[in-house]
Amino acid sequence: MKKEITVTVNGEAITHTVPLRLLLVDFIRDECGLTGTHVGCTYEGRCGACTVQVDGRALKSCMKLAVQADGKEVTTVEGLAREDRLHNLQKAFSRYHALQCGYCTGGILMNAVDFLNENINPSEDEVRRALVGNLCRCTGYSHIVEAILAASAMRHGLKPVPPPAETEPAP
Amino acid sequence: MYPAPIEAYFAPRSIDEALQCLAEAGDDATFIAGGMSLMQAMKARLVEPRVLIDLNEVEELRGLARGPRSLTVRPMTRYRELAATSALHGALQALGDAAATVGDRQVRNAGTIGGSLCWNYVASCMPSACLCLDATLVLASLAGGTRSVPIKTFLVGPLETARRDDELLIEIVFPASIRRGVGSAYRKYGGAVDGLPIVGIAAQVEVDEAGLCTHARFSVGGILPTARAFDGVGEILRGRPGTPAAFAEAAAAAADAIETQGDHLASAGYRRVLIRTLGRDVLAEAHARASNGAGR
Amino acid sequence: MSTAGETGWIGRSLARREDARLLAGRGEYLADLRVPDCLHLCFVRSAHAHARIGAVRLEAALAMPGVAGAITGAELSREVQGQRIPVLIPAFPARYRQYWPLAVDEVYWHGEPLAAVLAEDKYVAEDAAAAVEVDYEPLPAVTDAEAALCAGSPRVYDDWDDNEIFATGYTGGFEAEGIARNDAEVDALFAGADVVLSQRFRTQRCGVCPIETRGALALWSDADGLTLHLTTQRPHIERLALADLLELSTSEVRVIAPRDQGGGFGVKAPFYREHVVVCHLARKLRRPVRWIETREEHLMTVSQERDQIHDLEIAADSEGRILALRNRGIGDVGDGRQGVYWGFVMPSLGSVMLPNAYAIRHADIKLRCAVTNKTCLSPSRSFGALPTRFALERGLDMLARRLGLETAELKRRNLITDFPYTTVTGVHHDSGDYVKAWDTLLERVDLPGFRALQAEARTQGHYLGIGFACGAEFSGIPSDVLVPLENQPGYGVVTMRIDPRGKVAIHEGDAPQGQSHETTMAQVAADAFGIHPDDVSVRHGDTGTTPLSSGTIGARGASYTVAAIAEAAAALKAKMARYMIHDHGLEDADPADFAFQGGAVVYEKDGNVRRDFGALADRIVMGSINLPPGESPGLEHTAYFEAPKPMICFTAQAAKVEVDVETGQFVILDYATCEDVGTVINPIVVEGQVQGGVVQGMSNAMFEEFLYDENGQQMTADFETYRLASAADVPTVTVSHAPTPCPDHPMGVRAVGEGRPGPVPGALANAICDALAPFGVEITALPLKPETILALIEAGRAGEGA
Repeated sequence: MKKEITVTVNGEAITHTVPLRLLLVDFIRDECGLTGTHVGCTYEGRCGACTVQVDGRALKSCMKLAVQADGKEVTTVEGLAREDRLHNLQKAFSRYHALQCGYCTGGILMNAVDFLNENINPSEDEVRRALVGNLCRCTGYSHIVEAILAASAMRHGLKPVPPPAETEPAP
Repeated sequence: MYPAPIEAYFAPRSIDEALQCLAEAGDDATFIAGGMSLMQAMKARLVEPRVLIDLNEVEELRGLARGPRSLTVRPMTRYRELAATSALHGALQALGDAAATVGDRQVRNAGTIGGSLCWNYVASCMPSACLCLDATLVLASLAGGTRSVPIKTFLVGPLETARRDDELLIEIVFPASIRRGVGSAYRKYGGAVDGLPIVGIAAQVEVDEAGLCTHARFSVGGILPTARAFDGVGEILRGRPGTPAAFAEAAAAAADAIETQGDHLASAGYRRVLIRTLGRDVLAEAHARASNGAGR
Repeated sequence: MSTAGETGWIGRSLARREDARLLAGRGEYLADLRVPDCLHLCFVRSAHAHARIGAVRLEAALAMPGVAGAITGAELSREVQGQRIPVLIPAFPARYRQYWPLAVDEVYWHGEPLAAVLAEDKYVAEDAAAAVEVDYEPLPAVTDAEAALCAGSPRVYDDWDDNEIFATGYTGGFEAEGIARNDAEVDALFAGADVVLSQRFRTQRCGVCPIETRGALALWSDADGLTLHLTTQRPHIERLALADLLELSTSEVRVIAPRDQGGGFGVKAPFYREHVVVCHLARKLRRPVRWIETREEHLMTVSQERDQIHDLEIAADSEGRILALRNRGIGDVGDGRQGVYWGFVMPSLGSVMLPNAYAIRHADIKLRCAVTNKTCLSPSRSFGALPTRFALERGLDMLARRLGLETAELKRRNLITDFPYTTVTGVHHDSGDYVKAWDTLLERVDLPGFRALQAEARTQGHYLGIGFACGAEFSGIPSDVLVPLENQPGYGVVTMRIDPRGKVAIHEGDAPQGQSHETTMAQVAADAFGIHPDDVSVRHGDTGTTPLSSGTIGARGASYTVAAIAEAAAALKAKMARYMIHDHGLEDADPADFAFQGGAVVYEKDGNVRRDFGALADRIVMGSINLPPGESPGLEHTAYFEAPKPMICFTAQAAKVEVDVETGQFVILDYATCEDVGTVINPIVVEGQVQGGVVQGMSNAMFEEFLYDENGQQMTADFETYRLASAADVPTVTVSHAPTPCPDHPMGVRAVGEGRPGPVPGALANAICDALAPFGVEITALPLKPETILALIEAGRAGEGA
């Protein structure tokens, strides 16, 4: 009923003996202590708050067993920043106020990073369709879409529209 | 919310190994492919497999292969791969259309064509798309070698297929002549964008050099007991130019002929409306694709 | 003395203080808390909508390895108080039925908790809950509120003589004579009106379920008592109720709302019975107990609101001026057992809010609420008012069409223009310029241009439409309303503390769930003190460290709490100025002569007299000798803010849609609002609040519907069947402003959190009906299902042909 698995989580190999039925999301949260990956639905896998990347692809970690991640690389939202330098998309989310309660945010970031790797210059419609698997109840999505488009534009050296929030307010 | 206890988990690397696992595990074993439906069912404890055989590591079950008159799609090919491949352009584009609208990005990154066909949920896209494209399914078992089953026979009813418990789906083979002038398309209506299909429709149209329809196939998903094809569309369109009126007439005939069910998502009557309107648009799109191919 | 706004932190779109941790995955949500030795609780819930409970057999569950305990409703009812306690009962004449945390003898809805199991592992807890065997004797289920109110209906509670939990009128006062006189006046106005519109409007059961479900983590210590970490919008009320129910001293109960909560929108405001079970078992077993609600439990149990029917009549003159309203509402409140709202408070407030921002001098508004075998309504943003907003906004459009008037003009003509204004149901409108907001919106949507486009499109078979709606919403709720409504104070309160380094700490007894308090409240304090927002910290939600407040409900943050911050800052600034006068020997100076800016306190009549803000704080807190006469040391102040009358904010909204007349399917092309939220503290935060509220309204209007079958079985307990709008289903919502400062708020702020979803279904439905005007389509029920719209189109076509 248990199996030893080794999963590389945010670059670090973690070996645990886990119950076969343990969901990947619970492995990440309870065994690895990485609580930035959230749970928002029961069994339907619809809300997307648990989205992580497995071998670089965005997946819902409540729809996988931990044993299925044996030997794989898992990246969670905690692994997005590099040495405390926020990823461009994280910065854009703050500057465009793309999060309120923040509960869905980790999953959205993990999906959106994968999406922007796949589609380097998306339209607004493409961004919206890419977000179908992530429910947000606070923002109404407008700022999320703006933030993702802005992150994409910034990558191309373009000036994002509209102007974002102030990040380092002068006294 | 959590699966019932699982006693054994195997991640075989080959088809032979997978079949061996199945033979040894016996009745309570279940294959898991992309897991997008099975995990829902396991977490809701609608199914409680004692042994899980994970197909995700079987490399030979993935990818596409073109033959002289066919295209083989291996069952562990993911929706994302189907949506992105140029191998389906032309005659088999309906499959790419369908794959591109299944679930959401995360689902398309994980879910597989084979998993969907073997689950055969009523509100799914793959069965109707594959039915329209006249797929043949190749099933392997340890005892019986392989056998080929036409999709029409394979799809039996809700969550029911002709796959025997000791069999593994190893190939989905689509007839695909390299001839130009064949186009296909798929669209669905699911309430919300990319929602589960209340009705999903696939059509394939073949045109000759004069632009007349020589052949058409048409299938409907989202209906009970399972996805259905309607041959009448081909009969109506044969020999006619692809006009809006012709497509409307053909789709209306399908809407009249195909029995639909009512449920809390839509009445039987509204499903017929959807078959009529979506059907007409899908035929037009398939025809346009066929014509582009023919003119090239 | 400097006033708020002088030093420039107000009105700026600062990036949020909350974001760094939330974006890095280091939020502090309830489920993230880890305590050793914790047990996991799983509820056993009723499989029937209405049944007598026979035996509840726990043996099989208890025999499972890892199971630490289990309890039935009968057993629990002997160990805790029933939930009909004063702190949970509002001051309405209604039937407040006694009940216990777990059902005893009888279950009244599909999903009602009737037993609980505890295990070392959450997976095992679920296994064990599934192993509990329950004998049911099914009883007839009451599922239709209107039928439930008819004589002879089967009853939900066999010791009640009918199913009516609450009924009242909202017009004509409280005496029979006054009511009769009022109703007769209304009758006369209807009799003499040029036009009378009568229509039934129905809104479906739906709500605003947050993405984080509910949860509780209780810790018991024999020395300190109970500490409960809880998803809640109102930790202080929770604490009082728990102390009473568990018969503990309030000194033994501490409730902590986590720093981060994954949305609330009203759903986390009531007092829920599950909390009592978690706390009691932690005490009983002397071990931490944790319960994290599943989404299935959530959708079966909470987040259900809006379930109302309104028979609305509007009497108007030929110019479209409303002469009078008559309305008969029915609320389906479910089982009606849930503190503090008991299901009926929402529909009741909905009736109060019916006249909205329109100058309607005469009305006869009555409401009846029925219990049914469904879960009790729990609040959802736009508390009770979405259904009446839908009814009136739709009704006015129907009226405009009947009179051949432009609907935007008819509505504009009826907006309140004389302030202050008290509606016929007693809602006080403090001030505003609703017409200005309306006109700003009209300009934004270019109505004449749209009409031309619409006419052109119709000639090509494309059906475009535009729809309008508005909402005058509470900007916080004062004690005047909240005490009678919920037996709770309405004041805003904060404790503000300045430390010897000049850092300001704000302690707030509310419990936000995404409203950006840490940012906006820091902006307010920083602005007042002339310091940087980074030098202000905001702590909330812990009853052990914050003053008692009624919670984050009803748009109270920017209205009441921010006002309390402004008042606390003013008090502390005056004290600091008095020290300056004393220390610098400025006998003639007044505290108002000191400016707080650039991190310093400056005597405005002599710029050389200045102290660094931190140095002055150090002198007052640490240097407690040579005090000014009569002055105390230290810099701490608790301020209570109470508005003299309710404050109001206003939103005007417009939708543009295109409808496919073959299928009834529609797309929202554009959605625009114009807001009067007074002084804007942080524009991007306000925009986010509006956009989020609007999309909740869209999602409610288009997709969401809790369905029960004829036996009361809930059929929509997951996000596949209870569908929320995704990013692809909605457009960008554009927000404009037409502010008027609120005179009753020290900074002129009006709050934005509560009402925004309310007008949305009306605006969308109006747009669809406008598009389909050639077919005479009039939508009267939600959700806006394409199939229903198509049926109305078909009926219109048939009518045309006849």
